[in-house]
Amino acid sequence: MANVISFKNEMRDKLRKWREDNHRNSEQIVDVGEELINEHASKLGDDIWIIYEQVMIAALDCSRDDLAWTCLQELKRQFPGSQRVKRLAGMRLEALEKYEDASKQYDSILQDDPTNTAARKRKISILKAQGKSAEAIRELNEYLEQFVGDQEAWHELSELYINEHDYGKAAFCLEELMMTNPHNHLYCEQYAEVKYTQGGLENLELSRKYFAQALKLNNRNMRALFGLYMSASHIAASPKVNATVKKANVKYATWATNQINRAYQVSYARCLL
Amino acid sequence: MGEVELSCLAYVKMYLHGCLFPRCSVNGLLLSSSPAGGAVCVTDCVPLLHSHLPLAPITQLGLTQVDVWCAQTQQRIVGYYQANACVSDNSPTPCALKIADKIAEQCNNAVLLMIDGGKMSPDYRVPPIVMYERKDTRWTLKDKHTIMLRQWEETREIANQLLDSGDHSLLVDFDSHLDDITRDWTNQKLNAKIAELASPANVCTWMSRVEK
Repeated sequence: MANVISFKNEMRDKLRKWREDNHRNSEQIVDVGEELINEHASKLGDDIWIIYEQVMIAALDCSRDDLAWTCLQELKRQFPGSQRVKRLAGMRLEALEKYEDASKQYDSILQDDPTNTAARKRKISILKAQGKSAEAIRELNEYLEQFVGDQEAWHELSELYINEHDYGKAAFCLEELMMTNPHNHLYCEQYAEVKYTQGGLENLELSRKYFAQALKLNNRNMRALFGLYMSASHIAASPKVNATVKKANVKYATWATNQINRAYQVSYARCLL
Repeated sequence: MGEVELSCLAYVKMYLHGCLFPRCSVNGLLLSSSPAGGAVCVTDCVPLLHSHLPLAPITQLGLTQVDVWCAQTQQRIVGYYQANACVSDNSPTPCALKIADKIAEQCNNAVLLMIDGGKMSPDYRVPPIVMYERKDTRWTLKDKHTIMLRQWEETREIANQLLDSGDHSLLVDFDSHLDDITRDWTNQKLNAKIAELASPANVCTWMSRVEK
């Protein structure tokens, strides 16, 4: 009996951790969550509702409409008329590719509550799923004019711009993110990659600086290390730079090479253990 | 142009790459251990990225590292594959064309392979791939009859088996390698598993199971 209880608690804690970290490990969530719901629902107290929501979204991600439907029915019964549940119903329609019906669902939420950001973002996701990138970008820009602090939205916009090869605008989005998250090494590194892709001496120098910044924030970021090596090498090889700049960049590139070699040596040693 | 043969190993790893990252666009390089000239035999592939495909640094890095590895292992880069995140659209993106162009500079009859996500299913009758070849300066659809995948049904079963057993998570692409450099992007472990499944004894066992 004790084993069953501890197992249940362990699963519940796992689900909570994945929720808090916003992990998209949907197959695992479905595995753990389905068992929890089927065997232990009555013993979960009020936690059950947020677990239903989490499992439903994961089930949609894994094409488990049966499980998603079950969760949705429980939530509808417990929270009739809830906008949050309405949005989940919309997501299920999206998963079934019934985009028009899903859109209507979100429109009805927005009619009652025009500030409902979740519904607005789902509508933009529909555009993305349909391959309507230009429209998705336009809508997302409008959304960000109103909700300028939404980090997730800025990041999504940067991804959309990258896919459209609009690197200048992608860089702008990443600049916003770096301003509000100065300690996030991933944003620095992504910004550096965009600058590198844009090309040209000025952009290469910027990219090298931001790869270096990413490394300062996290000295294990391999992409930043390789990026520093590549950008510094390109600058050093450019006919447009003077001898001082060339020398400095050769130094940076050499330092990066040494760090890379060291990292790989350590990793081989770890593999042999 | 010429014939292209796709090996079981190359197909299975490409397919699993797409399955491992169903929400992302993925890409990779097609390799050949056969000498140049004559038909193109794609004997292996290296899965590259599952994020930020259009960005240059990591792509360049991947191309360079694979190039070096190929030189050491008597292989050549003969093509490029990509699977788009949006399954309804399997046309080559600008970055796919760019990378394929680069490969074609070194390899005359390079191929560009797009995986058709909409057609990926356990029992699909034909391989869910669309191949392009370079005619003059443009990439044009290749005649299906010049593309060979020997023992398609066995290959498909191997892929399904690896998916069912969860072994597809063994696959390491270059992106994953950069997240954890102890992981091997040449996929020796997975290659061995695929070779084992492709051995004649195994093939007989589950071909009979499939036929029931």
